[in-house]
Amino acid sequence: MDLNLKNNGILFFYLKAKRKKELFMTTHTNIDLTIKIGGSAGQGIQTIGTLLARACRDAGFYIMAINDFESRIRGGHSFFQMRISDKPVYAPHHRVDLLIALNRETWDLHKDQLKDDGFAILEVPLDSSSKHVVEVEFSTLAKEIGSTLYSNTVAAAAGLSILGASFDKIEALLSRQFAGKEEDIIEKNIKAARMGYDAVKDIRFSRQPFLKTSHPKGRIMEGSRAVALGAIASDCRVAAFYPMSPATSIMQHLTNWTNRLPLVVEQAEDEIAAVNMVIGASFAGARAMTATSGGGFCLMTEGLGLSAITETPIVIVDAQRPGPSTGLPTRTAQGDLLFTIHASQDDFPRFVFAPGNLLEAFETTQKAFALSEKYQVPAIILVDQYMVDSIFMLEQPFTFPKKVERFIIGDKDLKDPKNYNRYALTPSGVSPRALPCAGAARVVVSSDEHREDGHITEDIDNRNAMVNKRKSKLPDMIREMSAPQPLFPEAKTLLLGWGSTSGSIKESVEGLRNVGMDVGCLLFTDLWPFPTAIVQSLLKDPVKTIITVEQNSGAQFGHLLKEQTGISYTHAILKYDGRPFYPIEIMDAVKEKEKH
Amino acid sequence: MVTPEDFNSDYQNQWCPGCGNFGILEAMKDALATQGIPPEEILILSGIGQAAKTPHFLNCNMFHSLHGRALPLALGAKLANHDLKIIVNSGDGDCYGEGGNHFMHAIRRNTDLTLLVHNNQVYGLTKGQASPTSGLGMTTSLQPDGVISEPFNGPAVALSLGAGFVARGFAGNKDHLSSLIQKAMDHKGLSLIDIMQPCVTFNKINTFEWYKKRAYEADNPDPEDFTQAMNLAMEWGDAIPIGIFYQTKKQDFTSRIKGLEKGPLIFRNYNPEKANAILEDS
Repeated sequence: MDLNLKNNGILFFYLKAKRKKELFMTTHTNIDLTIKIGGSAGQGIQTIGTLLARACRDAGFYIMAINDFESRIRGGHSFFQMRISDKPVYAPHHRVDLLIALNRETWDLHKDQLKDDGFAILEVPLDSSSKHVVEVEFSTLAKEIGSTLYSNTVAAAAGLSILGASFDKIEALLSRQFAGKEEDIIEKNIKAARMGYDAVKDIRFSRQPFLKTSHPKGRIMEGSRAVALGAIASDCRVAAFYPMSPATSIMQHLTNWTNRLPLVVEQAEDEIAAVNMVIGASFAGARAMTATSGGGFCLMTEGLGLSAITETPIVIVDAQRPGPSTGLPTRTAQGDLLFTIHASQDDFPRFVFAPGNLLEAFETTQKAFALSEKYQVPAIILVDQYMVDSIFMLEQPFTFPKKVERFIIGDKDLKDPKNYNRYALTPSGVSPRALPCAGAARVVVSSDEHREDGHITEDIDNRNAMVNKRKSKLPDMIREMSAPQPLFPEAKTLLLGWGSTSGSIKESVEGLRNVGMDVGCLLFTDLWPFPTAIVQSLLKDPVKTIITVEQNSGAQFGHLLKEQTGISYTHAILKYDGRPFYPIEIMDAVKEKEKH
Repeated sequence: MVTPEDFNSDYQNQWCPGCGNFGILEAMKDALATQGIPPEEILILSGIGQAAKTPHFLNCNMFHSLHGRALPLALGAKLANHDLKIIVNSGDGDCYGEGGNHFMHAIRRNTDLTLLVHNNQVYGLTKGQASPTSGLGMTTSLQPDGVISEPFNGPAVALSLGAGFVARGFAGNKDHLSSLIQKAMDHKGLSLIDIMQPCVTFNKINTFEWYKKRAYEADNPDPEDFTQAMNLAMEWGDAIPIGIFYQTKKQDFTSRIKGLEKGPLIFRNYNPEKANAILEDS
């Protein structure tokens, strides 16, 4: 059918489908759809992405969605890509079922990903196409509401309409999304949605997931929110930062909560100041953290060493992006593993963690705070742009601890507070930590090598004793490290991954097993100090093929594995283009490696 | 009753005999004792340099940190516990060189602390290189043809950034310096005292005699007169004024932060229900 409604002044709209019946194929029993909506920066792609995600979550689907954007405020290309399914999904899919293009570029860039039975809603008329395409002038409609700014809402509603969502749902979601804004803005968005919704109401896409809805399966949130919630579950009281993508969103969440918690967030003059503010706050008794990306972490390495020699607990989140230097500011990478393990002057114990999903982000952040304070060492949490900016579904609840255990002493715990030694030598290497100006105990801290009382000395025996004291925490620290999460660990071929790639690796393991390959995986969260004994026992079978899967070009984890266990990896599957792994990429690479 | 002797440290002093730092150390003890602040109630932070070693030679709570970084550490400590009484000992290299950015922003924030810049116009700890405040033409082993950059004027920069308390002191006038330190500690907000301090080993130009001949006491008669303050800060030659150049009331940083009026962060309580309410809202 071809419709042209431009004449009545509402819209120019026609459906280009060679054979009408193709559009009305039967509904698939298993829902696994990918919806991509794209446009230029400033068109509000992320905003409507959130709306789409909420709509699908409310309808009872499992979802996961990536936000892809360039490092610019206007122009450029950005898209939101969401996978919805009736079973849990932890990774993006490489083929698109529904493409919503707010500009020509989106169509040009992504049309090849559209499945043969996929469908596209486009702003711009095309010369010709073999795909199922409907053209809706989002911006013309939006202008009628008052501004092209509403194009995104028009487009999102058209997408939801075609998927079979009811308009009431969309209206309710819009009211919620724009709650707190002026009434006029909510009204206009609802009007815009109505126009988009009606523009395609006569078209029925073969996939109508909303015909089979159920109860919501969990919360949806970005990884950044899970990390920030983990921080408040750790009773973090001070956060200092210098803005840097993709870490800033973590600080944004914390800032939003400062009026409800004993929490202060301070934007520092640079990352050097940020990490030192965190050390100062921790020294004075508040749990404190900072978040940055690789470039900012470079500036923090001086402070990392200060935290180490003064044994002042701190938590640093490194939300990785590709480098070196500015690199690809809004994209994803796992290139800072060896850097964060080795950064700073000399060597000293530290923790490095890399959560792989929302629950791990929440729990690992708490573990980092607790262990950093328990052992008085810095703790680093490696996340990445993919993890912090993507929307995942949380099936398990987040539980806040009733009480947060602190590892601080006062005069009452000391026999002789007046002669308190901040760096008293102990069998565990951990010295009882008092706070400054909290009693008779005077706290003396120096970044120079120091005696037990904190004052400077270059004495040989003292130097050796102090290095050994700090180092002697390691055996206990290693015991705190969790084993990697195994999936078919007895398999002949084992994929090794760490951090945010866990979802794609898991799905590729399932996919490879479905085609008869004996593949499993080990997914690491606790990376440093390296849990050597655990890993050696998991990899003791010498006939195994070990494949390290990482988002860097140097197989950093593979090298770490060899260095720490003596076990070499057989192959490496590496991706460093700044985009997250699609499971198909891992599956294809494994098949290729296994052939040889 | 707190006495200057209460601040004596058992730790052996490491400065050169005759170092200007001794004058500053004694003035600090005197100021703290006169103010009645016992050693366990004062927190002294410092960066790196000969000046930054000062708290080791005092009985106090202290954090001897990184070169140039004492000010952000001090801010962090204040955010955690804004009841802390904080002095920062810094040098011309530490504060105006390595820590220049932090110096600027600590003034912008008006962090409530007393900043003592031991300004000897030379690098002592690293053995005699030029510092940001070294005079034009001063020769050193690393600047054999003489310093070719203009000296940094800490008090003038602080004034231009809106500091609420700016003063210059002299390590050779202990009573005057002690009085300045006390007034600085009484001042709510960031107070800067740039202290002329002879380095007996590496600065053969700006010697004790050099400073003594030039220093004259001259408080700004109207401490809120910014133009006069700037004139005093810029006066550097045959006569150099010491005293309070500028003082005005300004709200300090932590009292501008909503939420801290309920008391220092470290004394507040963790409440899982509040955290859970945030989760429920998200």
